Amino acid sequence: MKIITISLQIVILYIFSFIGTAIHNFFHLAIPGSIIALLLLFICLCLKIVPVKFIESGAAYLISILMLLFIPTTVGIMNYPSLLSIHGALLVITVLLSTIISIAISGTASQFFEKKAQKRKDDKECNKFSSHSA
Amino acid sequence: MILLTVVVYLAMSKLYKRYAYPFLLPILTTTTVIIIILVMLHIPYKNYMVGGQWVTSLLGPAVVALAYPLYKQRRFLMNYLFTIVGGVLIAAISGMVSVGLLAKLLGINHTLILSIIPKSLTTPVAIEVAEGLGGNASMAIFGVMIAGIFGAIIAPTIFKFMKVHSPIGRGIALGSNAHAMGTSKAAEYSELTFSMSSVAMTLCAIIGTFLGPIIVWLFHF
Repeated sequence: MKIITISLQIVILYIFSFIGTAIHNFFHLAIPGSIIALLLLFICLCLKIVPVKFIESGAAYLISILMLLFIPTTVGIMNYPSLLSIHGALLVITVLLSTIISIAISGTASQFFEKKAQKRKDDKECNKFSSHSA
Repeated sequence: MILLTVVVYLAMSKLYKRYAYPFLLPILTTTTVIIIILVMLHIPYKNYMVGGQWVTSLLGPAVVALAYPLYKQRRFLMNYLFTIVGGVLIAAISGMVSVGLLAKLLGINHTLILSIIPKSLTTPVAIEVAEGLGGNASMAIFGVMIAGIFGAIIAPTIFKFMKVHSPIGRGIALGSNAHAMGTSKAAEYSELTFSMSSVAMTLCAIIGTFLGPIIVWLFHF
């Protein structure tokens, strides 16, 4: 029974993905079809056009086996033996450095934004308070 | 071939559950084992993909499925909208621009640069973005894996060094740079860091698909 529910729900996700791809092809958008479908499903869920119950088991299942889905693509690395040479090393260094830089920048920036948002909220509450007292 | 993939994957997941070292991640070990099998039996990748493409075809719906966790955390997202969107936007821009510029500096070839531009997006989305830009899907995953594993390992040191103490700042940095790996690291900090990281991961994937082509065009990568 559970398998049937999950399969049917995956079919629903497939349909969304198909619609997304169709929109992508029709309008020649630079955004991938599956992302269009993600946004579409998110909107449908928020507007209650699609009840969460219709997709939740299927979605949770797919996300739980996500790693397995990449494997055929990662195996494709076997076609690039040059990765084991200096080129591969350079590639790794690039990604590592960029990750360090980006974590440092985004962590600091997010903390800064958070403080700003907090301050704005506090100010608002202060204003409310002062207008009440006045 | 599907059966082989699934069986090896299940075995490797068991192994990982037993010994949770980052280099034993099922995706790394399974890939290695399958490549060794294919090479030993002289099976070309093309033949393997006859079955393998069925597994890959589930990636589309899997990306769509990410709407579900995002929906579950919509209240959380709305509460911190300004902080999350701002932080993720900065992360996506700095991640893509820095990797592109560094790669150009080191003289890495054009297709490879395009493949690693989306390295800070979650894998299924990174594949699509890389292909859309003219890169290669396998290389894209390679970049994503390195960013994820290394990012999750190095992040605590960076946070200490840069004095990032807030759970929100840490969560956003982890989710929008080291995606799933970063999010599991975030779970070790606190519930708030974890939620922040998983929202940031999904949002970063969405924002990244819009930003990718713009950044490539702006910087002539």
